This record gives sequence, C-alpha cells and structure tokens, in this order.
Amino acid sequence: MSATTHPRGLFDAQVISNRQICREHFRLVLSVKDFPAAAPGQFVQLGCRDPHAPPDEPDEHEWIDADDPGLRTRSLVAPTPLLRRPFSLAGAEPDPQRPGCTLLEIIHRVVGLGTARLAGLREGDAIDLLGPLGNGFPLPRAGQRAVLVGGGVGIPPMIYLARALGAADVGGVAVCGVTTADLLPLTWADGVAADPQGLPTRCIREFADFGIDAVVASDDGSVGVPGRVTVALQRVLDHLALPAGDVVVYTCGPERMMRAVTEMSQARGLTTWVCMERSMACGMGTCQSCVCRVNDKSSDDGWRYRLVCTDGPVFDGRVLIWD
Amino acid sequence: MKNPLTTASGTSGYAFEYGDFVDLRLLGAFVTKSITLHPRKGNAPPRIIETRAGMLNAIGLANVGLEAFVAEKVPQLREMGLPVFVNVAGTAIDDYCQVARRLNEVDVVRGLELNISCPNVKEGGISFGTDCGQVAGITSAIRAAAPDKVLVVKLSPNVTDIAATAAAAVDAGADALSLVNTFTAMAVDVDRRRPMLSNGNGGLSGPAIRPIAVYMVHRVYSQVARKHNIPIMGMGGIQTARDALEFLIAGATALSVGTALFVDPTAPVKILDGLADYCRRHNLSALREVIGSLQFPEPGKGYKSTYA
Ligand SMILES: Cc1cc2nc3c(=O)[nH]c(=O)nc-3n(C[C@H](O)[C@H](O)[C@H](O)COP(=O)(O)OP(=O)(O)OC[C@H]3O[C@@H](n4cnc5c(N)ncnc54)[C@H](O)[C@@H]3O)c2cc1C
Ligand SMILES: Cc1cc2nc3c(=O)[nH]c(=O)nc-3n(C[C@H](O)[C@H](O)[C@H](O)COP(=O)(O)O)c2cc1C
Ligand code: FES
Repeated sequence: MSATTHPRGLFDAQVISNRQICREHFRLVLSVKDFPAAAPGQFVQLGCRDPHAPPDEPDEHEWIDADDPGLRTRSLVAPTPLLRRPFSLAGAEPDPQRPGCTLLEIIHRVVGLGTARLAGLREGDAIDLLGPLGNGFPLPRAGQRAVLVGGGVGIPPMIYLARALGAADVGGVAVCGVTTADLLPLTWADGVAADPQGLPTRCIREFADFGIDAVVASDDGSVGVPGRVTVALQRVLDHLALPAGDVVVYTCGPERMMRAVTEMSQARGLTTWVCMERSMACGMGTCQSCVCRVNDKSSDDGWRYRLVCTDGPVFDGRVLIWD
Repeated sequence: MKNPLTTASGTSGYAFEYGDFVDLRLLGAFVTKSITLHPRKGNAPPRIIETRAGMLNAIGLANVGLEAFVAEKVPQLREMGLPVFVNVAGTAIDDYCQVARRLNEVDVVRGLELNISCPNVKEGGISFGTDCGQVAGITSAIRAAAPDKVLVVKLSPNVTDIAATAAAAVDAGADALSLVNTFTAMAVDVDRRRPMLSNGNGGLSGPAIRPIAVYMVHRVYSQVARKHNIPIMGMGGIQTARDALEFLIAGATALSVGTALFVDPTAPVKILDGLADYCRRHNLSALREVIGSLQFPEPGKGYKSTYA
C-alpha cells in the first residue's frame, strides 16, 4: 500500500449528538462541512478540549485516574490534553439536514484524559479534527464473503465497513468480542438474541441494517459465546464452510486478539486485513512515532518499520510481524 | 528568508508530508528531519507519550539515510522553493563529516543544522552537545566539510550553562545557533512500574518547556550572539504569536514550530498573521525591531501587576 493521496485537512466540526451507549462508550456524531470522501478503516484526529471550561482560568479540579479510580488527586488546574487523539470512523455519510456537510460517527471508550473530555461534549459544541487519515480496508470482490472481527474499541470501524459492504452488496458475518455484556457498544435488534453457540443471527442492529449477521462473544460469558473472540470466529468459519478464496477476514481490536485472529485465518489460507493501533502524536506521517514491524526481504535483518498512520492503519496480515 | 517562521527538525518530515494540510511555501524556511549517514530504523514503540502540557519522544533518529535522502527527498525539496536546512546527525565525527561533504554539493540545500543535541547520540559516553571541547571540535570539522553552506548549530539544553556551549560553537565557526532541542526526561507507568517509553527516557518538548527555552535564548543572545552578530533560531513550545514574540523579544531572529504542528499544521501561518497584527498595533515598520528588545526596568518599577 502506498501513502494516501486523498485530500486531507483540518476541519471544524459541530457536535450533533453525543450519547452514552454502554457503561464506558459514547457515540459521538459530528457534522463537518466539505469533508473529503472517506472509507472504512480510516480515522480522524480529534482535538479533545473541554469547550465548557473557562479558558486559561485556574480551576480546582478533582482528577480521577480512569484506570485506577482509587487514585484521586486535587489539582489546581484541570489537565488539558495537548495532542489530538486518534479515532476510527464508525460511519461517514452525507448530512441530510446540512447541504455540503458530512455526518461523522465516532464511538469512543472513556479511558483517560482526552476521552473524558470528549464524553463532556454536548449538542452544538464546536471541536476540530484532522482527517480523513490513513488508508481504508480493501473491499471484497463480488461473490466473496466478509468476516468482520472486532474486539472492544476495534468494533467501530467494523460498523462503517458493514455499511460499505451493504452498499456493495457483499454479505458477511460480524464477530464482536467484549470483556463483559455492558461494554458492548452496539444495539440489539428487536427480538433477536445472540446465539450462545456462535450461530450467526441478525441480532445487532448496526450490522443487520446492512444484511450482515452477527455473533457476540464475551470473556466472562455474560453475553453470547463464552470466551475469547477466536472461539466464536472458529465456529463462524466452520459454519460458513467456504473455500479459502471466498472469504476475506477483517480485524481490529487489541493486538493480542488481532494476532490470534490473523494466525487462525491464515492457517485456513484466508486473506486477512488488520487495522493496527499505535500511540500517535501527529497522525500525518511526520513524527515517526506510530511504527509497526513488517517483513521486508530487501532489509538486512528481514524487516522494517512502517507508519501505522500513513502506511496503515490497515495492513495485510501476511506482512505484519507481531511483537 | 522572507519571514522568520520555520519548521522544527523532526516534526515535519522530509518535505511534503504536511502537503494537504498547509502550504509550507508561506514559511520562511524548511528544516528537515535529522539525516544520518546510514538509514536508521529508530527505537521500538512506544516512541512518544504525552505529559502535562508536553510530550516525550524517543524516535531514535529514524531516517532513510543520506543516499535515499539525496535521491528521493531532495527533488521534492527543490519543488518547495524555500531555503532548505538539512538537519545532520551522527554517532561519530566522521559520520557527520561524510554527510556534510555530500550535502555541500547539493544546490537546493541552503544550510546545515547540526544536531549535536539528540539525547541518543553519544560518543565516548558524552553527548557531543554538552561538552564545550566536543562542540568546538565537531563544529569546526563540519565547517571545513561544508564550506559553502550556512552552518547552524543546534544546542542542547541539557547543560549547566548554555552560553558556554554557544560560545564554543560560535568560536568554531557557526553562522547561526538554534535552540532548544528537547530536554532529557522520563515518564513512569505507575501500574507496571516501568518507563512509558521503550527507550526508557525521551526528550520533552511542547509548551511545558517554553519558559526555559525563552530564558536560554535570552541568555545566549545576551552573552554570545549579540556581540558576534549571530542569529538565533528560537524554539521550544511555540504555539501562538504571543509565544513567538517572547522568543523574538528575548533575542531570537527566526522561530521554529515543532510539537504544535502535530496539533495544528497551520500553526506557523496563524502565527505569521498574529505577528503582522502585532506590528500594526505597535506601529512597527518591521518585525526586526522587536528582536532582542527585552528591557529590564529597575527593580520594583514598571512591572505589570497581575492584580492591577
Ligand atoms: C488508528 C486508531 C484508531 C482508534 N480508534 C478508536 C475508536 O474507534 N474508539 C476508541 O474508543 N478508541 C480508539 N483508539 C484508541 C484511542 O485513540 C485512545 O483510547 C485514546 O487516545 C485515549 O486517549 P485518552 O486521553 O483518553 O487516554 P490517555 O490519557 O492518553 O491514557 C491512555 C491510557 O493510559 C493510561 N495511563 C496514562 N498515564 C499513565 C501512567 N502514568 N501510568 C499508568 N497508566 C497510564 C490511562 O489510564 C489510559 O488507560 C484508536 C487508536 C488508533 C491509533
Ligand atoms: C517527535 C519529535 C521528533 C524530533 N526529532 C528531531 C530530530 O530528528 N532532530 C532534531 O534536531 N530535533 C528533533 N526534535 C526536536 C525539535 O526540533 C525541537 O527542537 C523541540 O521539539 C522543541 O520545539 P517544540 O517544543 O516546538 O517541539 C524532535 C522533536 C519531536 C517532538
Ligand atoms: S503518528 Fe506521527 S508519523 Fe504516525
């Protein structure tokens, strides 16, 4: 894959809605004027400032560590994130109410300072973003089936991918892994439950709307198939029982999960597209912070670094070297 | 240079990486990522971590190496139509000199910025940039290797007295000085009790370092640069026109924007607008008039009170 050549830019965005959708996830919908065409797998860099904080005014603030709520500290000035934070697009479509605008959907989990600020956004607030960044997923050929494997905050790009598959009339199955039931950032379709054995059903609205079946797995067994997402994936692949050339696997989520998914699907000879995550400063290919290792026969030691932000975030599972 | 704004090395790639986001041609000059003799992969990730009002980086001088730079990036730089400064780094004086000799032949390169201040570049256990003898040695070696180029020496802030290393560089033939590079620093993962960066320590940049950088620019200006008429390229946490003015008033002639580009690649252009506005409001015929104009009123007099 070559570096992106699509136009990218810095855009002002207006918050259309920001709703909590499960214990720690929010769905943020933004309207952006003149946003370039985007594709599933691409991401944006959001500025995470609190528009309701008085500018530059010291403000005594109880600061609670998201990972460790026991770590409570009073600090005189509320910490403000400096760098932008990267988020996959969970959707991008024309804004029906505002001509020339695009509605961008972002699903984010509150894990720290920046995402806590995003959680405080309200309808009508203004934020800004860089995007669309990175390269999207190559879509399957006609006649192929797609298997979308998302874990936790890796689920959002799969929602956007399902929309694109629906538009291209490609069928598929989404396999969604979560640690526990109330961290599932998705909506149940009326009257359809997730099958505990891993049989794909139209149980998730975000996928069913585009003709995609879904299977849910939870580490603690509180919803769907008990166990890791790979347990469910194995059942789905067995159930589909299609020749290797007819299935394309897409995955995004924690690195250990993506590695297990890639190894499983490659053992079956399936093409696998992996959406990588790295800590990023710029997202634009300038700071060199977001590297991952790929095979490179021309290099002395057989590998080299590539940038997740501009060479990826989507990589062919065959080239990635897992650390 | 048509205006004082430049990109800081390592924060804007080799050439047109920011292409879609900002028209770099509006700037006064372009400074490239550090180039070394051989390609370098750089450190393992994570290479950055945000800290309060700043960030740590330990990229490890990842770059394509001299030959690929000349073959692939120089043609792009030619299209930019700006004075180009190539930042040069290495691990031994000989490496630096080989890079400098080759770049001396490249017409589009206006000058070299000598990076003797990267926390990861060491020789005999001493960073080139923190020992006056070494600063002088490497500066005069590069001066001889690249006689046709403007030589900017980028000073390390990780020293007791930056005026001493500045004087060493100027005496050894530097045409200009740039400061500051990043401050060696560390962030700790409290859950796992280990450094946040794979490299252990990194370099602190961003608004957190700005007041120290302004002080260092003023110190170098007042102790060394003014009397030798040596321009200073000031940097360290510049985000706004007000930040830029602090550096100019403290003695900088040019300004580099680094970390702020990651947040807003158009920041230098906005700063230029802000500077023009300042000139209008203060009836200045040229921005030059503010350079080094810092005044020290008598103790207790003429200071603005926060509580006025
Ligand atoms: C391409 C890409 C796409 C992404 N897409 C999505 C998406 O669609 N949805 C989504 O929710 N996320 C997504 N992410 C992840 C998202 O970017 C991060 O969750 C976000 O940047 C976190 O920012 P923050 O400021 O809230 O957390 P930070 O404050 O940056 O903290 C991150 C984590 O580190 C911990 N931490 C910080 N400092 C310390 C310390 N000293 N010791 C111990 N622990 C510490 C925090 O508690 C937290 O768990 C994506 C990332 C990438 C690269
Ligand atoms: C990610 C990153 C990479 C950098 N790489 C280099 C480099 O290769 N060579 C160099 O001389 N300075 C490098 N620097 C230092 C900057 O050029 C600059 O001196 C410093 O960041 C202070 O300015 P700032 O606060 O505006 O970023 C780097 C800084 C950052 C943040
Ligand atoms: S995040 Fe800066 S190069 Fe990828």
